[in-house]
Amino acid sequence: MSDSHDSPNFIQYLIKLFYLVGGVLVAGTLITVIIDVVFEMSLGLAAIVGLSIALLKASFVVAIFMHYKWDKKLIMITWTMILTFIFFAGMMGLIMWAEGDIPRWGREEVPVVWPVLASLLGLILPASFAVLTIKMLSQPTAVEAEPVPKPKAKRAASKKK
Amino acid sequence: MEIPYTVKPRPDTGLYNGKLGIWLFLASEVMLFGALFSSYVLLRVGAADGTWSMGLMDIVVGAGNTMVLIASSMFVVLAWAQLKQGKLSGPWSSPRNWGYIQWKWATVACAVIFLIVKWSYEWPSKFVHYDVWFKNSAVLHDKVEEGYHHDGEYHKAELWGEEKDKKFSLARLYVEKEIYVERFFKTYSEEDGGSHKAFNKAWDTGSLALSGHINGYEEAQINVEVTGWKPDAGVSESEADKILLGLGISGEDDVAKRLRSQGGLLRGNVSYDVAKRAEYKLTKSGFSVALSVAGYEPVEAHPYFWRTGRINEDIGGKPRVKSIRFALDASHHEENGETHHKEITINTADVKRLNSYEPKHSTFFGIYYTITGLHAAHVFGGIIVMLYNLLPIGLATWHRDREQYTNRIETFGLFWHFVDLVWIFLFPILYIL
Repeated sequence: MSDSHDSPNFIQYLIKLFYLVGGVLVAGTLITVIIDVVFEMSLGLAAIVGLSIALLKASFVVAIFMHYKWDKKLIMITWTMILTFIFFAGMMGLIMWAEGDIPRWGREEVPVVWPVLASLLGLILPASFAVLTIKMLSQPTAVEAEPVPKPKAKRAASKKK
Repeated sequence: MEIPYTVKPRPDTGLYNGKLGIWLFLASEVMLFGALFSSYVLLRVGAADGTWSMGLMDIVVGAGNTMVLIASSMFVVLAWAQLKQGKLSGPWSSPRNWGYIQWKWATVACAVIFLIVKWSYEWPSKFVHYDVWFKNSAVLHDKVEEGYHHDGEYHKAELWGEEKDKKFSLARLYVEKEIYVERFFKTYSEEDGGSHKAFNKAWDTGSLALSGHINGYEEAQINVEVTGWKPDAGVSESEADKILLGLGISGEDDVAKRLRSQGGLLRGNVSYDVAKRAEYKLTKSGFSVALSVAGYEPVEAHPYFWRTGRINEDIGGKPRVKSIRFALDASHHEENGETHHKEITINTADVKRLNSYEPKHSTFFGIYYTITGLHAAHVFGGIIVMLYNLLPIGLATWHRDREQYTNRIETFGLFWHFVDLVWIFLFPILYIL
């Protein structure tokens, strides 16, 4: 956090915000329960509603409680988390793919190419995650100052390694 | 040793080291829990229609616990905000003026409440809760009639037209009493006959069960008989006699010697535990032993961990448990402000499977205990770190370098929010989907 974010006024503002977010999270939980008790929903719909509310709550926690809102310029956190979530999404995608590949009555047969693509994705995702993380960590990144583009110098630095 | 960049951001990363470390750790945690979440999804989606054990969770308790964890998450960030203002401690009497220490203890209290609810209610209440499946659907039907057709509470409903046979009357009963409709067939709408179809399938595959508690049972009283003794087991005659005497026979008239040489009844009508212990000791010292059931005694109990294998354990050709007094969940009435559950007697000979809601019960409980257990371990670890930070040894850092301590608390807060975050997703997945 930069210095302006340490001022007493800002902390007072933050504290108010924390109470507000706490209220939002409790309300979100109550809404989830009420929706589940009151409405009869199919599994798919229940999943969409329940997980949407959870996602909303989660983004409040990350943005305010974990003060990501004021940290997000920092490339380290953002990229680490984005890549992790891409990895996670890939994992879920693979599962869906595997599930879609099981032949069942009343379902069209899936072309052979899909499972092959799925396994490729399963290899590429973690690999790219690892490569990008290493690249990112080995690259000095100016945070507060404006980045000065020096493509030649950078290439030379990476060659050395 | 001076650790660099505990306060000032490192120029290349733009973060102090602790913060970068915790974010990388959280990234690895996302992958750990991500793997478990996706396993859950795979198992959930792959489960055959109507077999996922939903509705077994107490959603009110779950929601309450969720809010306790949310509160703790808010308290931990308030504690950090107080530190940022330089306020270590305030008066306990006015929460408006609480300092870091007060908010931190409040966080610890919430975390402890969360674990206590898990440890003393949510998990153990499932260990004493049973599902029983029957070998024959006709027996199931009789048991349902016995258990639900009482006090004029059950009356026939016109759900699926004419009563064709026992199967359909049972199906109607199930629907009417919402025993299984609510629980297993939630995803089916009744207009399209979905429940009907699912019920037929469940009937045909024998996957319908009754759920409730075991109030008591008839357990075998066992005769322990000695049938012979081998002197080549490395135990001398006097030692073998001593073992016999230790098992409670009288020392007169060479009873031990006669038992050793000719065999005979060692003890009659003893409980299972005593008989098994005697069998173990005797076998170890070269005796051959025969256990047989002398009779069955009713036992009042609230047992943990009964399973099909244990109730049917073979003792001289008879089962260890003859019958179970089973209090049905869904059949109850109020009397003097107390809820009474209808109790039926189930012969263990009719039981195909008996299992409490432990991991072995179903895939759902397998993954349920894995995920909630790992999450609870995180909460427990968090409590230990918080307590360390509150102890003088932890607070010494504050007196040495305020900013370093504040950063340490911020770092812990990030971990704690992540634990909260995991639970925010776990709650709808485990309790609602």
